Amino acid sequence: MYNAKGMIFLFVAYCVQEERTIHDRNLLEVRDPHIQWKVKFLLGNSSRQISQCRNSIQGKILLTDELGYVCERKDLLVNGCCNVNAPSSSQYVCKSCLANGCCSVYEYCVSCCLQPDKQPLLERFLNQAAISFQNLFTSVEDHFELCLAKCRTSSQSVQHENTYRNSQAKYCYGESPPELLPI
Amino acid sequence: MLKLMLNLAEVAFLSKYKCSCPVRFSNFFWSLSLSFLEYIVAFNGYFTAKARSDFISSALRDVDAVNWRIVRRDNPASDYPSDFEVVEIRQDARSSLLTLQDHPYIKRVTPQRMVLRSLKLTDSGTDGASPCNDTRWMQKWQSWQSSRPLRRTSLSLGSGFWHATGRHSSRRLLRAIPRHVAQILQADVLWQMGYTGSGVKVAVFDTGLSEKHPHFKNVKERTNWTNEKTLDDGLGHGTFVAGVIASMRECQGFAPDSELHIFRVFTNNQVSYTSWFLDAFNYAILKKIDVLNLSIGGPDFMDHPFVDKVWELTANKVIMVSAIGNDGPLYGTLNNPADQMDVIGVGGIDFEDNIARFSSRGMTTWELPGGYGRVKPDIVTYGSGVRGSGLKEGCRSLSGTSVASPVVAGAVTLLASTVLNRELVNPASMKQALIASARRLPGVNMFEQGHGKLDLLRAYQILNSYKPQASLSPSYIDLTECPYMWPYCSQPIYYGGMPTIVNVTILNGMGVTGRIVDKPIWQPYLPQNGDYVDVAVSYSPVLWPWAGYLAVSISVAKKAASWEGIAQGHVMVTVASPAENDVKIGGEMTSTVKLPVKVKIVPTPPRSKRILWDQYHNLRYPPGYFPRDNLRMKNDPLDWNGDHIHTNFRDMYQHLRSMGYFVEVLGAPITCFDASQYGTLLMVDSEEEYFPEEITKLRRDIDNGLSLIIFSDWYNTSVMRKVKFYDENTRQWWMPDTGGANVPALNDLISVWGMAFSDGLYEGDFTMSDHEMYYASGCSIARFPEGGIVIAQTLKDQGLEVLKQETAVVENVPVLGLYQTPSEGGGRIALYGDSNCIDDSHRQKDCFWLLDALLQYTSYSMSPPSLTHSKNRVAPPTGTDRPLPQRLEGNHLYRYSKVLEAHLGAPKPRPLPACPHLSWAKPQPLNETAPRKPASVFVINLR
Repeated sequence: MYNAKGMIFLFVAYCVQEERTIHDRNLLEVRDPHIQWKVKFLLGNSSRQISQCRNSIQGKILLTDELGYVCERKDLLVNGCCNVNAPSSSQYVCKSCLANGCCSVYEYCVSCCLQPDKQPLLERFLNQAAISFQNLFTSVEDHFELCLAKCRTSSQSVQHENTYRNSQAKYCYGESPPELLPI
Repeated sequence: MLKLMLNLAEVAFLSKYKCSCPVRFSNFFWSLSLSFLEYIVAFNGYFTAKARSDFISSALRDVDAVNWRIVRRDNPASDYPSDFEVVEIRQDARSSLLTLQDHPYIKRVTPQRMVLRSLKLTDSGTDGASPCNDTRWMQKWQSWQSSRPLRRTSLSLGSGFWHATGRHSSRRLLRAIPRHVAQILQADVLWQMGYTGSGVKVAVFDTGLSEKHPHFKNVKERTNWTNEKTLDDGLGHGTFVAGVIASMRECQGFAPDSELHIFRVFTNNQVSYTSWFLDAFNYAILKKIDVLNLSIGGPDFMDHPFVDKVWELTANKVIMVSAIGNDGPLYGTLNNPADQMDVIGVGGIDFEDNIARFSSRGMTTWELPGGYGRVKPDIVTYGSGVRGSGLKEGCRSLSGTSVASPVVAGAVTLLASTVLNRELVNPASMKQALIASARRLPGVNMFEQGHGKLDLLRAYQILNSYKPQASLSPSYIDLTECPYMWPYCSQPIYYGGMPTIVNVTILNGMGVTGRIVDKPIWQPYLPQNGDYVDVAVSYSPVLWPWAGYLAVSISVAKKAASWEGIAQGHVMVTVASPAENDVKIGGEMTSTVKLPVKVKIVPTPPRSKRILWDQYHNLRYPPGYFPRDNLRMKNDPLDWNGDHIHTNFRDMYQHLRSMGYFVEVLGAPITCFDASQYGTLLMVDSEEEYFPEEITKLRRDIDNGLSLIIFSDWYNTSVMRKVKFYDENTRQWWMPDTGGANVPALNDLISVWGMAFSDGLYEGDFTMSDHEMYYASGCSIARFPEGGIVIAQTLKDQGLEVLKQETAVVENVPVLGLYQTPSEGGGRIALYGDSNCIDDSHRQKDCFWLLDALLQYTSYSMSPPSLTHSKNRVAPPTGTDRPLPQRLEGNHLYRYSKVLEAHLGAPKPRPLPACPHLSWAKPQPLNETAPRKPASVFVINLR
């Protein structure tokens, strides 16, 4: 599905779209079964060489880089990547994540989501459940951005609007919303 | 259909009801319009849309299919199971309802009511032409079901702040030609330097914007997050806000070349939900928005998903700017998210530099009862009569903090575009530059103006010489400086008093996370009596996102118990953040900040002059449904102002200070204070339960000479059931957890003296000791010991009015009781059945004279002759004829109580918590004097 030709096509389509001065998106557009997701999955290859990393930016203590490494802030290199030699760094960490794909720690959710074996799950999500999130997920460009966005709390995370469904495990890479716990 | 309700005044009356009423009644009822063909069908569980439809179809199988339909709810949640459905029934509604209600999976069927806003509303006090139809009022008592009006609102909409250009111009010739706000703030100076906001992404979260509005040249994207299929603004709010930020012609905005991202999160009916915001916020993070304007707000700072998300945005380097609220001039009215420490909270002023009356103010109330609130707003700017873009074209003039917020957001956008190294622009550095450059307004305290009025050019100078550092807000503590440091300056400190707490916000421009190195240090200045002061500090373990708190508790040392004078010193704090551009791994940047402290010390006042205000037993919204003390205030049904002497009991506090009393706040259980220090314990409108140890301790304290004054309020379980409503914001029924006060709990507290309040609910005007009084939804005294002085009045039975829509006058309702306890040296107790007359919110007539009289009695044992010899004096009621009020069965007070075990069932107290303990900082004295003027008035030290 994400073969080389497809990628080129999508890339072109994206540029055309960008050239419009305004592009409007509406959450409630008629459901298009052929949404052109831009997501590009890089098959996990931990030996991938990279000079600069994007990372998850927001963490209080931890960060996840785009290679799936989680580390403490103090172990972040100037290029934005985790120092893989630091004791706090490890790759594809699913710590605090439950079987339903919901985790207590955002950075672990992102790291776990970046695991190569999560790709089919994410593709399934993009093709089904994400209809309500077209605005967001049609703008996601690759596996890392998808995981950053997917793990965030969202409309699917709440009950009665102002309460988390599960205040413990609320960051989900999986298809289902957090388990609904009584208030 | 769930609604987000708007500002208080604007829901005062619904367009549907044309009748406008006399002043007294104009705020009387929540405005409801019955969309009488729609019904909410609630199920016993969560079912898919298909299953819900099947259930309804089978229940209505005998009703002709053309006569009913399921109202579609197009929102992201509609793909998920729900426990309700909205059904429109065209004919035979009654019989259809009956068949619906019989279905096994259908829990209940209730009429759907919609609360609509009307832009034409003016202050409800000003109209009143046509008479009211009494039956309509009565009907509306019955229809108490609506959405919760106090929610996140699009600030300035309605509320009478909207007014068309020129409406006031006939009287204000000098201001007949309003200048453009961007020019008044000298944005043109920066424009001429070539800065116009280009390259800065600014998001407007509002009511949308039409596609081809002539004022905008760089609208990058519009997205819609509501359930209405449009991106356009149908109201004008979002257009106006966007115009103040980025309009390029006519009424010019600040940053015409900025990249505008329009997020439509409010419908044309001003409906919005947390869930819409969450998804829209995620998109803003993905799009790497730089500046985000939220001219919205609401009182629910305990909406954790929303609050957490705002922190998350800040952590992703989005500069959040938000309106502080339009609920002034009452204190305790700050709106969320503007009250968050990471957000730039903006208040409003007029063009003569007066704080706009509507601008919300007072400390934050998150920290109550144990702590003290943050200073907010952060900054003020023009918010009254500002010109901005009209809905389709042209300009209009509007007022509200909704207007002030985009003035700052526009200024921030413009400022960001002036900085060459954009890496230096972050939520903390921008806020530091704004507050360090702000111009302080004379005669206005910091809980109204924050750091003062926005000064764009000074902010430009500071930002462009900025080096990453930490700073403090407020940047110094001068408890003698009036009026800026009100309320601190309104009462000197003394030995033995409850510590004075100053909640300082640490802004950390060095990084999204930071920490305090070692511990903050207290350095008293010995030549300036600094050793007479004890200081304790607590602080955020991690400063995140870009900010943290530093709570400074100040006390007087024992050796200064009878000393009078000024003492000074400073707190020194070092902040460290990971140095992300440092090649050395684990490297840190540090920044050291001094917090000068100056206090006035007086000898400890005599016991009789000291009053202790019980904060611990006051509960509020959020989180629980604690109804207002005045049942007539239906458009503002929740008790949300904090019930603190520096919020909605501010006038009372000022009055007591002017009478020479010293008022302290008890933020801990009754077991945690030394009663021999105080003349009177003042308990007003208490909702909390009491630990058995508290009841025992209070009894002993009163035996030993402490006196007690209680201002109670109504508690009637039938009325509580009546005022339950379906909250469309949270999609659940809301039943009050107490009445105006928790009378059953209070009765447990005072039963030992043979006293009790009743579950009666009374209202009315009367005269007491030649003072006009208004009793607003109060209770009566059911039992009072023999020998006590009891005053009774003739009042209306408001309970009967609420429940049965009948009017009845009751004579001899005991409202006031005074009692001298019999033990040797024992204290006195005074009870009054209504707190409205000392509460600033919705007060009609104050009764500070009564409070004075009661304090004369409790603190000085002087019986007021006007009461003891009153013709309204009656024999103390024995109350044996009626049972005392019981707690409402199934109430959820345990969820919010600090006293009850957190489970349903018979209320059971938790173990008594330990009393708060402060560890005083070990002083590191300096043998030097304070700088004559605190250097850190400007927090940014230009280096």
